[in-house]
Amino acid sequence: MSGIKLICGKELDRVFRDRKMIFSVFFLPVIIMVGIMSLVGNLSNNAQKDVEAHTSIVYIQNSPVGFPQFLKAADKDCKIYEMSDWEKATEMIKNGDADLLIKFPENFVDMVSGYKQGDVIPQIKTYYNPSEDYSRAAYDTISTGVLEAYRQSLLSQRVDNMEGLTVFTVNSDNPDMVIQDEEKAGGKILGMMLPYFVTILLFAGAMGIGTDMVAGEKERGTMASLLVSPIKRSSIVLGKVIALMIISGVSSVIYVGALVAFMPQMIGGADLGMNLTLNPKQIAMLAVLLVAIAFLYSAIIVLVSVFARTTKEASSYVMPVYMLILVLGMTTMFTTKTPGEWVYAVPIYNTSLALQGILTQEVTTMQYGITLGMTLVFGAVLIGVIGKAFESEKVMSI
Amino acid sequence: MIEIKNLTKIYKLNKKQMKESKTTDTLKTAVDNLSLTARPGEIYGLLGPNGAGKTTTLRCISTIIKPTRGEIFVSGHEVKREPEKVREKIGFLTGDIKLDPQFSVDYMFNFFGRLHHIQEDKLAARKEELFTYFGIKDFSHKKIKELSTGMAQKAAIAVCLVHDPEIIIFDEPTNGLDVITARSVTDYLKKLKAEGKLVIISTHVMSEAEKICDRIGVIIDGQKVAEGTLGQILHDTNAEDLEDAFFELYRHQKGGK
Repeated sequence: MSGIKLICGKELDRVFRDRKMIFSVFFLPVIIMVGIMSLVGNLSNNAQKDVEAHTSIVYIQNSPVGFPQFLKAADKDCKIYEMSDWEKATEMIKNGDADLLIKFPENFVDMVSGYKQGDVIPQIKTYYNPSEDYSRAAYDTISTGVLEAYRQSLLSQRVDNMEGLTVFTVNSDNPDMVIQDEEKAGGKILGMMLPYFVTILLFAGAMGIGTDMVAGEKERGTMASLLVSPIKRSSIVLGKVIALMIISGVSSVIYVGALVAFMPQMIGGADLGMNLTLNPKQIAMLAVLLVAIAFLYSAIIVLVSVFARTTKEASSYVMPVYMLILVLGMTTMFTTKTPGEWVYAVPIYNTSLALQGILTQEVTTMQYGITLGMTLVFGAVLIGVIGKAFESEKVMSI
Repeated sequence: MIEIKNLTKIYKLNKKQMKESKTTDTLKTAVDNLSLTARPGEIYGLLGPNGAGKTTTLRCISTIIKPTRGEIFVSGHEVKREPEKVREKIGFLTGDIKLDPQFSVDYMFNFFGRLHHIQEDKLAARKEELFTYFGIKDFSHKKIKELSTGMAQKAAIAVCLVHDPEIIIFDEPTNGLDVITARSVTDYLKKLKAEGKLVIISTHVMSEAEKICDRIGVIIDGQKVAEGTLGQILHDTNAEDLEDAFFELYRHQKGGK
């Protein structure tokens, strides 16, 4: 036991006694992540504000009397031009120099005012460029909003009792239409993202250190000095895996903490309108499962590193495993069916499901128990394999 | 005491190793039915050319690798059955074994001392003794990666001796060292011998073997071809010095070529 403690302590000292290492392992990724996400969030926010503030340029063909005023009343900042050259106007839309074309029939006013049953119903055609943000916004505001209001206003001139034409409305006065458990809704969002982030954070945090811990020691010739010490090989393995668990655990706590703390900045100050808080039971379940996942991932990284002779080789071995685990983490994002109990016995995949289930409060005690048990058992099996590999002089390249 | 009985070590070669060795055989016998006994209070030298099996023998003794056949007893403990007990008794050092460059000499000394369950007060006293002898006190706070090769080697020797082992196994102890450092190492080996320790070294430097070894075992192609004191070997081979004796033995082993 003291051997495990000593090995673990040495590996932790390697990281925690080195300021540069502390910065590069724990803080640099956070700074980069928060920096990039904040930048993206702000840029996206600014782009949205810019679109909202943009003065729409609208070209109208055969504009009926009063329509430009109607349009100005709805969207006071828009610039309205009479379209004389159709080809030129469409070219301007294509190039982003104009945002929307509205084409009225030549005798639109007569067609509307002189309408008799059986006549052709006049059609207003609008044209926009969906690949241009300004054009798309103008289409959304004018084509589906202002023109609908214009239609209603013309209709009211034709029909005395507008209400007589309204068979029903949908949610015209129903502010309480959304019925959801705020915690579950928040958990649903977290549950989609968290397994994916946990995989990235736990695995990536341990990857660099883990490969150096085993393959790096072999490469530098420092592993042999441990192997001739009066300590069991299994103690060396456990010491290293536990140290790696602690490092990846600490790094993931820092990463998650930073994610939560800087979330407003990272989403550009937007409000998700969800309750993203967790109750004590969820926190306890998550904490225990995350420890088990950190144990499993650390064991996987150490196992892969054992078979490499250099850190470079170990990194190339670990990368496909990382990708595989990442894909398994992502699959739960798109799962809609309730998985069977047996699925919770599939290592790695079950942890993503259970994480999601804890956050949505849908996981059963049985499912949680199976996941936790399988994760620990699988991790323990891997530790056994690593121990055997440590005994092999061929694997250890000694 | 070290007692080796009919030690054979066979390596399985991979394709790359077969190509490097220019052989089609998948197996390579590194040590072939070797037996020897080394006793406390002597420096035993394994002498042989590169690839003779010296390092393999020392690695089998120090439990890093396992014998294919035969038995090795270290202070009464068999290496395959009681490897941890064997490791408690020995201090093993080779040019391939290095200290972690991220840590200071001081840290590594304490770390290995604690792995050997040495009490803190005894550890401090041992550190004072060894660091003073090897002149590494002044740079004990420095990281290994900041030290010169000679300094790092001295530090490695001090760490290897932290637990005051009964048996000291050095593979090419002065390899790569400057004359002054090499002398301090060989002097220390003599000191250990005077204290009643068993020192077993491997070397291909004839003059080193002549100067410090009480008994020499000559290994060629994994087989022991001669063993005895320097005088006995010179007598048996009718040679003037160890180098002549070695070439005589080598010529004989290779069938007179």
